[in-house]
Amino acid sequence: MSYVVGKTLPYHVELYRQLKRKRTAFAYGFVLSLPILVALAVKFGPSGDDDEPSEFGSGATDIIGLATLGAANFTTTMLFFSTPFLLVTVVALFNGDTVASEASWSTLRYLLASPVPRTRLLIQKMKVSLTLSLIAVLLVPLSSWIVGAIAFGVAPLQTPLGVTFDNSLTFTRLAIMTVYLALSLLFVAGLAFYLSVRTDAPLGAVGGAVGISILLTILDAISALGSLRQWLPVHYADTWLDALSTTIDWSQMAKGASYCAISGILFYALAINKFAKKDITS
Amino acid sequence: MKIRVALLVFSLLAAIPMPANAAEVIEKSIKTAPGVLIDTSLFLPEVMPAPAILLAHGFGSSKEAVKESAQYYRDNGYVVLTWTARGFGKSSGQISMNAAQGEIADIKELISYLVTWKEVKKESSANPIVGFVGASYGGAAALLSAAADKRIDAAIADITWNNLNQALFPQSSKDLSEPGPFKKVWTGTFFSLATLQNAALGECGALAAQWCAAYKSAVINRRPSAQEITLLNSVSPSAVLSEISAPTLVSQGQSDSLFPLNESLKTFTALKKNNSAVSLIWHGGGHDGGTNEDEYLRVQYLNWFDKYLNGKDISIPTFQFTKTNGSISLQDSTVIPKNFFSTTAPDQATINSIDLLPKPALMAHPIGGIPSAISSLPGIGSAGSVAATVVSGISGFSPAFLAGQSGFLESAKLQKAVSIVGPSRIKVRITSSSGEATLFFSLLSKSASGAITQPNGVVAPIKISGIPAGGREITVELPSVILDAAVGDSLAVGISTTDQGYELPKTPSLYSITALSPLEYSVMDVVSVTGSGGIWLWPSLALLTLIVAFAFTYLRRPRHSESQRDEDFLVQVENLSKVYKDGYKAVENLSFTVSRGQVVGLLGPNGAGKTTTLRMMMGLIFPTEGAIYMDGKAVYPGSPALANLGSFVEGPGFLPHLTGRENLDLYWRSIGRTGEKYLDEVLTITKLGTALDKKVRSYSQGMRQRLAIAQAMMGMPDLLVLDEPTNGLDPQQIAEMRVVLKEYAKTGRTVIVSSHLLAEVQQTCSHVVLMHRGHLIAFGPMKKILTKNRQARSLEEIFLELIGDDLVIGKAIT
Repeated sequence: MSYVVGKTLPYHVELYRQLKRKRTAFAYGFVLSLPILVALAVKFGPSGDDDEPSEFGSGATDIIGLATLGAANFTTTMLFFSTPFLLVTVVALFNGDTVASEASWSTLRYLLASPVPRTRLLIQKMKVSLTLSLIAVLLVPLSSWIVGAIAFGVAPLQTPLGVTFDNSLTFTRLAIMTVYLALSLLFVAGLAFYLSVRTDAPLGAVGGAVGISILLTILDAISALGSLRQWLPVHYADTWLDALSTTIDWSQMAKGASYCAISGILFYALAINKFAKKDITS
Repeated sequence: MKIRVALLVFSLLAAIPMPANAAEVIEKSIKTAPGVLIDTSLFLPEVMPAPAILLAHGFGSSKEAVKESAQYYRDNGYVVLTWTARGFGKSSGQISMNAAQGEIADIKELISYLVTWKEVKKESSANPIVGFVGASYGGAAALLSAAADKRIDAAIADITWNNLNQALFPQSSKDLSEPGPFKKVWTGTFFSLATLQNAALGECGALAAQWCAAYKSAVINRRPSAQEITLLNSVSPSAVLSEISAPTLVSQGQSDSLFPLNESLKTFTALKKNNSAVSLIWHGGGHDGGTNEDEYLRVQYLNWFDKYLNGKDISIPTFQFTKTNGSISLQDSTVIPKNFFSTTAPDQATINSIDLLPKPALMAHPIGGIPSAISSLPGIGSAGSVAATVVSGISGFSPAFLAGQSGFLESAKLQKAVSIVGPSRIKVRITSSSGEATLFFSLLSKSASGAITQPNGVVAPIKISGIPAGGREITVELPSVILDAAVGDSLAVGISTTDQGYELPKTPSLYSITALSPLEYSVMDVVSVTGSGGIWLWPSLALLTLIVAFAFTYLRRPRHSESQRDEDFLVQVENLSKVYKDGYKAVENLSFTVSRGQVVGLLGPNGAGKTTTLRMMMGLIFPTEGAIYMDGKAVYPGSPALANLGSFVEGPGFLPHLTGRENLDLYWRSIGRTGEKYLDEVLTITKLGTALDKKVRSYSQGMRQRLAIAQAMMGMPDLLVLDEPTNGLDPQQIAEMRVVLKEYAKTGRTVIVSSHLLAEVQQTCSHVVLMHRGHLIAFGPMKKILTKNRQARSLEEIFLELIGDDLVIGKAIT
C-alpha cells in the first residue's frame, strides 16, 4: 500500500463532505429567502406610512427608495441589506465551523493521524470554505436579480446619485459590487477560520467572528473615534456603494478590499501557524 | 485578552482631542474714524507670541457669527481678532460695502491695533504677521484689504464676488457690453439685511446714503446707471487684484446663485499673474446652502495659515473641489460629498467638445414674465439647494424648465462617461420676435429616462437688445459646474426665457436658438483626496502580505527530526516525556519497543498516560522530550511513517449525518492511500452488517465503536492502535472484540491495545507495557511478567504489588 500526500483530503471530497451537511443547505436557504421574502412583502404587504423618508420603493432617491424600479435596483438594495449581517453570518459559519466541527465530531484526529498533514488539511478546508462563501455571495445578486425581474421587471439601474445606467453598464457595476463584497468579507472569513482552529466548539468560532464583527461595526458608528475608524476592517463593508457613482472613484474600494484581504490573509497565516504547533486533544 | 481590548478602546477614546480651556478673550471697542466705533474680540492662544488672524463675518451678521471659528484658530495657536463691521451689531458707522475709505480703512486700523499687542508675532516693530480670512462680505474685505495693506501676509476669501456689477447684473457673454438682467431677488435680500435692521433708522437703515440711492435707482430703472457701475466697481476686488502680493486662497461654493463659481475663477486667474501663491477651492456650500463643509474648509484654511504665517512645510494643491454627490453614505445610503484635488485649476482644464443636435430650440417669453421658472431659491438655505441639485424626477418635469418657456440643445447619447469640472461655452444664434432677449442658459445632463440634472440650479443669464431679423450670434459662457454624466445620458444646454430671481422683460417674444458650435466643456485630471496614495498602494500591500504570509507560515513551520533508527522494531519509544501547558506531567521518560506480530497491551489505571502516549504515537500531540519511531522513521504530525498506522483513540469520530458506509468511503478517499482497502475483510471482522447503510447518528455505542475499529483497520495497516476498545461495551461485545483483535493479529500484523481493565487484556495480549502516573512500571512478554512473581496469579495483583500502596493512598512516585 502506498501513501500519496497529494491525495489526502482532496478538494472534491472535502467539498462533498461539506455540501452533504444540513447547515450548508440552511445557510444557502437563508440567503435565497431574503430577496423572496422582501419581494413578497413589498408586493403583497400593507403599504407603509408615506412620510417615511426611506419607504421601500417610495421613489425617494436613496437605495431603499429606488428598490422597486426593477431587477437591478432591487439587487442593489438586497446587497445593501445583506452586507452588514446576513453575509457576515453565512461567511463566518462556513469558515468558523469547518475545523471546529471536525474537532467536535472527533473526526479531526483521525484525519490528522491518517495522516493528512496539518497545513494541507487547513489549506484544503480553506479552499472549500472560501468556495462555499463565494457561492453564498454570488447567490445574493443572482437570486435577487431573478426575483427582482419577476416581481418588478427588468429596468436599467438608477442610482441614488440621480444617474441611470444602461444595461451593459448595469451588469458591470453589479459585478464590481459583488466582487468587492466578496473581497471585503475576507476579514470575517479569516477571523472565523482562525477562531475555528483555536477552539473545538463550532458555535464559539462562528459566534466569536460574528460578535467581533458586530462590535467593530458599533465602534465604526461612533463618530467620536474619528479617523481611527479607518483602521477597522468593517469600516469598508459598504464601500461597494462607490460603484454607483457615474465615474468610479476606485481609491476607497481599492483600500477597503485590500485592507480586508490583508487582515483576512493574516488571520489565515496565523491559523496555519497556530495549528501546526497545536496539541490536538479533541 | 479582554482587558487588553478594553484598555485599547479606552486609550483610543482618551486620544480624542478635547477643546482646551477657554483662554483669554479681550473685548474692546476701537475708534477707527470719526463716529465709528468697532466692536472687537481678541482671542489669545496658550503659546505666545503667535501670528494673528483677522476673521471677518458675512453681511448682516456680527463677530458672534465667527466666534466658533475664532476659537478653532485660537486652539491651533493663533491670536485671532474678530470684529463687527461698521453699521452692524454693536459697531457704529454706516455700511459702505467695503469701501476703501470705509470698512477697508477700519481694517487698517485694526492691524495697527494688533501691533500694540506684544503677544502678536511681528516681522518688524510696525508689521505684525497677520492673515485674513472671511466669507462673502468678509471675503471681499479680505481681498480688498490684502490689496490695500501690505502688512497682510496671507489671505483667504470664501464665497465672495470678483465684480459686483457682474454678480448683480450678470452678462454671460463677452460679446455683449451692456449689463445683464438685474438679479433682483438676491440683491433685495442682500440689501434688506442692511436697510431693515432697525425701522427707526429710516428707509436706508445703516446703509450709506449713496448705496441706498444706488439700490433704489437700480430697482426702479432695472439697470445700473454709469455712476452706479462706477460705485459697484469701486468695491470690487477685480480692480485691485494685481495689488495683492500675499498668498491668497480663493474659495467658492457650488451651491451659490449669488456669487457663482465663475466669480472665483476670475479672481484666481487674475491673482495667478501676481507671482505669489494662490490656490482655489470649490466646495459644496455657498449662499444657497448646499452641503455644509465647514469642518473640511477650516482644516484647509488652517493649512494655508500654517504654511504662509508659520512657515510649516505643507503641500497644498492648486485646486481642490468637492463632488457633492461623490458617494453614498455608508450609514443611511444618503449622498455624501467627496473631495478631490488637482495640480492645476479649471482655468487650465482640457477643453473637450461635443456636437449638439442641429435642431433649434423654440421658446416663448410670457407677457410680464409670469409664470417664471425657479432655478434656485435664493437665501433659503439647504432646503432650496437640495431641491435644485436634481431638479426633476423621472417624469422630466422641472420647475427650472417650464413648458413652452424653455428648450434644450442636446447632444446624442454619450458613449463614454463624462466628468465636467469647470466652465463651458457654446456659440449660438438667437432670433427674437421683439428684437430683444433675456435668456437663462445652463449646462445639464439628461438621463435616458428624461431626468434632468442641473447642477445647483446655477444659470448664466444674458440680456441682448437690438437683435436683427436674421438673429445675433454670440458665445455664451455657461456656469462653471462639477457634473458627471454616465454612458447613455446626454449633455444639454438648457435655456429658459424666465427666472424668478431676475428682472424680466414685460413684453412677450418668441425666440429661436440654434447651436453654431459644438459644446465646449472642461475636464480635468483629478485625484481623490482620500486616495492620495494612489489606488495601487493598497492592493500592492495586500499582495505583499500574501507573500509575507506564505513566507511566515513556511519559515515558522515546526521542524521535525528526520533521524532514523534501525528497523528491527516496528515501534520504538525513546525517553518519551509530555508535560502539558498547565505543568501536568502526563508521561515521563517512557521507553519501550514493539516488534512485528505482537499484540501489546498498554496497561494502567486512568491517568496513567496511556492515551497521551498513543496520541503522541499518532502525531497528534508533541512530545516534550524523546521521540517515537515507526519502522525506524520518526513520527511527527503528517509523518509518512503514520501511513502504516490505523488508529482508534478516545472514542469514534464520524460525520453523524452520513451513513457508516459513506463515512468509511469518505475516510478512505481522504487518507491518500492507493492500495487495496480490504473493505470486505474489515466488515467481516467487525460484523457491521446492514447497519452500515444507516446514518451514524442512529448508531448504538457498540456499533459506533465497531465502525471506528473498522475504519482503523481499513487498508489493513501494519500497526493497529486501539485505545480502550472495550469501553462502554457489554460483556458479550467485549468477548466479540477480543475475537476481532485476535483475528487481526493472525494476519501477522501488530496491535497495540490500551486498557485500564487489566484482567480483560490479560487474555488478549502477548506483550505488556505497564504504566502508572506517566512512568513505565514493567514491560515484556505477558508470560514472563506473569511468571516473575509466582505468588500473584493475575496482572492486577502484579500491578498492585509493583506500585506498592501508592494506588491506595495516592502518594506520588518519586
